[in-house]
Amino acid sequence: MSKTGNLGHLAAIDALHTAYVAALDKGDMAAWAATFAADQASHFCISSENDRRGFPLALMYDDCRGRIDDRVSFVTKVWVGTYEPYRTRHFIQRLGCEEVGANQYRVTSGFTIMMTPEGGSTSVLTSGEYRDLIEIQGDRAVFRERRAVYDADVLPRYIVFPF
Amino acid sequence: MSSQCSGNQAGNYTGKAPAVWPAKINQIPKEVFGDKDLFEKELENIFYGDCWHVVGHVAEVPNVGDFKTFDLGRVPLLISRGKDGQVRVFYNSCTHRGNQVEVSASGNRKEFECPYHRWLFSLEGALTACPGSKEFAPDFKQENFGLLEVKSAQFLGLILVTMGKNTPPLAEWMGEEVTSTLSALLGGDGRLKLLGYQKVSYNVDWKGYNDNDGYHAPMLHAGFRMLNWQGGKGFQRMAANGNLVFEAELKPAQDNGFLKDPSLIAFKGSDPARGSMIVQLYPTTVMVKHLDMINLRFAIARSEEETEVHYAYFAHEDDDEELLQHRIRQSSNLLGPCGMISMEDAAIFRRIFIGNKTPGVAEFQKGVTSFTELPADLKQNDETGNLGRWEHYRKLMGFKREGGK
Repeated sequence: MSKTGNLGHLAAIDALHTAYVAALDKGDMAAWAATFAADQASHFCISSENDRRGFPLALMYDDCRGRIDDRVSFVTKVWVGTYEPYRTRHFIQRLGCEEVGANQYRVTSGFTIMMTPEGGSTSVLTSGEYRDLIEIQGDRAVFRERRAVYDADVLPRYIVFPF
Repeated sequence: MSSQCSGNQAGNYTGKAPAVWPAKINQIPKEVFGDKDLFEKELENIFYGDCWHVVGHVAEVPNVGDFKTFDLGRVPLLISRGKDGQVRVFYNSCTHRGNQVEVSASGNRKEFECPYHRWLFSLEGALTACPGSKEFAPDFKQENFGLLEVKSAQFLGLILVTMGKNTPPLAEWMGEEVTSTLSALLGGDGRLKLLGYQKVSYNVDWKGYNDNDGYHAPMLHAGFRMLNWQGGKGFQRMAANGNLVFEAELKPAQDNGFLKDPSLIAFKGSDPARGSMIVQLYPTTVMVKHLDMINLRFAIARSEEETEVHYAYFAHEDDDEELLQHRIRQSSNLLGPCGMISMEDAAIFRRIFIGNKTPGVAEFQKGVTSFTELPADLKQNDETGNLGRWEHYRKLMGFKREGGK
């Protein structure tokens, strides 16, 4: 197989990115969680400063499937009505894709997240880089791990939704 | 024609903070939030005045040559660990023409070089090279041009600075009520290890942040209710100069099945009687020890509508690997601008800021027993704990109360 994997797998990987974006931009947290492997998966959002300096602390640290599901519960059950609503638009650009095991790929992508607070104008929330471990399961791809390393040294607001 | 008005009448809204406050001690003029001219005066009287300001902890610069930059109001600071192991705070400004010396947020240097005329400063601040000095002014002496040091003091590694001429010594300024809680919060001996940061800018003036971060009525936090997480017994005490401490016993959450991974909120520490502690040092610093999280919040008053907060999280140097890993995942997920517990606080900052751009006063209720004196005893959840800060603010700013002092 080539370094960039076979075309069927690439199509599945791109479809996974699309499903992830569609879920978050609709505010559909259950659909977001469904992009991760059902049995075991992890999700991190970490500042590029912490990442660069080797600090483990993250903004979101979901190191098991249960944490991913608990994040969904918090956004959809606990925080409802407490935060100022905002909508997002994610833009993703695949930068690299390398097969690292049986049906597993290390995929790197650039991302930009635009945000629109209710009643406000649109601005950049942050940009960054996704560093993913993606697995092909049958005809679909799922995240084993997604690590969103965000560029903003200072975030422009508090955060409700995953990056 | 008739006009209807069913609410209370509160006078006109001017957007300008009044110089005379209402007579009642529990009433704060709403116009103190977001007044641009007032912010300039606050910089002068408070941030550049006779107060101590927390700017970091020595654990952020553990090795010789480590530095971080920070701002006190608009004044740029450079915090550096010298070859002698001492941590010093300098103005981040070349002593030649005032150029900013260090531009990075943090890092490690052998020396600091100003790129403008290649003046070179040691980690201890001495001017070690200045090319072409033969042609400098007749009174130039190299030893007189080291980086300017800001007056600083430390408490278990916590670094505080003051630019005031008459600031009391740190211990006196903090107040004796603070010492025990702050020591325990800093791990007992201040031997902390930095785990990383969450940095965020809030659209709120520093007073709105200060008045609502750290502690407030627990009814804000739906998460506590859903997790069946009751607060333990504790106390809140006012200290000198607007400082405030809280301690509460930690009652572990009863697992009610809400979380699939309840290990996140486990307590692995050894002293649940002091499981939850908050120290608020005036004007902007909030420090929290809750469960196994040690969180120091370094805030910068940027403008009348912006406060930047660097949430720094720490472990203790003596932690074993299990406790260290637990602190990392707990700290990342529970506090800060996306924390399971504290995201809601951040939303309140902004809503307080917006909602107070209306006529009248913000009025404290819970725990108010006198309209003229600060309460001597505070209950754990009284909101009157904030009144000491507001009184301190009023005095620092020279505002009088109606019919009084």
